[in-house]
Amino acid sequence: MNKAMRNPLVYILFVLPAIILYFMFFIYPFVTSGYYSFFDWDGLQAPKYIGFQNFIRLFHDEDFRLATINNLYFILFSVFIQVPLIVFFSLLISSVKKFQSFYKTTVFMPSVISTSVIGILWGFIYHPDMGLLNNFLGLFGIGKIYWLSDLKTALLSVLITNAWQWMGFYIVLILAAILAIPKELSEAAAIDGANGFQKATKITVPLIMPVISVVIMLSIAGAMRVVDIILVMTNGGPAGATDVMASYMVTKAINFGMYGYGNAIAIVIFVFAMVLTALYQILIARKIERNEF
Amino acid sequence: MPRALKKGIPHVTLWIYVIVVLYPFVFVLFSSLKESNQAIVADPWGFPQHFRWSNYVDTWIKGKISIFFFNSLYLAFFAAVTGVIIAAMMAFAITRMRYKSISGFLYQFILIGMLIPGNVLFIAQYIMLSKIGILNTHWALYLPYTAGAVPISVLLIAAFMKSIPSELEEAAVVDGLSAQGMFVKIILPITIPALVTVFIVNFLGNWNEYLLANFFLSKENLRTLPTGMVGFRDKFQTNYAEVCAGIVYSVLPVMIIYGFLQEKIIEGLTAGSVKG
Repeated sequence: MNKAMRNPLVYILFVLPAIILYFMFFIYPFVTSGYYSFFDWDGLQAPKYIGFQNFIRLFHDEDFRLATINNLYFILFSVFIQVPLIVFFSLLISSVKKFQSFYKTTVFMPSVISTSVIGILWGFIYHPDMGLLNNFLGLFGIGKIYWLSDLKTALLSVLITNAWQWMGFYIVLILAAILAIPKELSEAAAIDGANGFQKATKITVPLIMPVISVVIMLSIAGAMRVVDIILVMTNGGPAGATDVMASYMVTKAINFGMYGYGNAIAIVIFVFAMVLTALYQILIARKIERNEF
Repeated sequence: MPRALKKGIPHVTLWIYVIVVLYPFVFVLFSSLKESNQAIVADPWGFPQHFRWSNYVDTWIKGKISIFFFNSLYLAFFAAVTGVIIAAMMAFAITRMRYKSISGFLYQFILIGMLIPGNVLFIAQYIMLSKIGILNTHWALYLPYTAGAVPISVLLIAAFMKSIPSELEEAAVVDGLSAQGMFVKIILPITIPALVTVFIVNFLGNWNEYLLANFFLSKENLRTLPTGMVGFRDKFQTNYAEVCAGIVYSVLPVMIIYGFLQEKIIEGLTAGSVKG
């Protein structure tokens, strides 16, 4: 028994391909990213060691500050607008019998489509002349709005597109948790005279709090990762109004050949994501788990 | 009547949501068959008056959508297949072969990958690929796609393999099977449901990927559908009907796959995200 399943050669052959690829595309890039963040390097000439200067410069970089704030907007929008809507629609879908699987299938649909195609598609919706949105608002006599090129509306437009794409994904996640709650609980509540709203707020939501917590966590992680939708819809414009950290990093490194600086941004994004995750775990997740009982 | 109303309100609300989700697709579908920008502007909500199928032909050929389409298809497919195979091999070794401590270490080591946000690695990967000299070849996508799926695939497949009872193995060993024989003849066939789920999730991820595809390839003929579409939009910005036809080409295959496999896709994507 042990002999057959103890074959070092087979073991090594079986783990090696995955480990090599993992090392090449995760560990090595991560380490070199940290290393090059201390260099001034344009990708052509020899890298020049400059210590923490990239990071110091980054903290004084107005455009980067703007990009960071935009990332925060993505986080705030996800947590305070998307998540309540997600919970609301999940409760609604779980409460109906007819068409339930139809709703579930339909709302999930945008999550399987390429972000870049969604960016193009919503570009049409926001188009000032032929866009659906302006046409619709025109019915109410509202004049032309340049959604994606106006400083005031550009970020909000992208936020809405992003919400359109991902809300269904999280709805399905929460819906699964709601449907897993034993029926007896809600029946007992009904006997005690609770109405639909009371059942939802007093029983269902507290019970699915751990999953809501996961969804909040994933939304934050997702908001930190946002980049392709920005590159496709606005490329960070107008005047950096929609730039996020990752799109700023891509622009600086690839378009301007500032690899050292780009890697410093990468490290800051990583640290930022780690700090947010840790803060979330310490401040929120624990509290939610305590509420569970 | 109040009861009917009470039952109706959730449906009305949900239908509004469904329309908001579906209408953009309908709009694109209608627009893709219209004759000109004028026809779209004049009646953006309406059904096309004359079906102009030639938009689809023009886009497929002139817009090189055919090339992008097949590039995407074969890259997404082979990267997903390779990813599933190597992840299954590793998962088998660390869950079923008797090297407990090293397996535990390797498993933890792979899981670290899930903590690193993908785009943090982007610049360093770009530099590495350009040093190796495979930037601007399909290897530049095939390798990162395959590698990128390793942590989550190993995690999901290992979870499935762990649950297989060891009696099966014992019987097979008595019959004289080696470890690799066990993998191919016993464990892989049992694991197929998990492998299929992981394959679909990886395939969709590769099919939809934009960031790497956009910056790791600059030759037009190598492009995949997501970047090809963006290039097509920028180049033929003046013909909205054709760009819409292009969108239909990139959405349709995914929609067909989704239609058939939605349960599996939802299960796979949500399992991956909850554990990730």
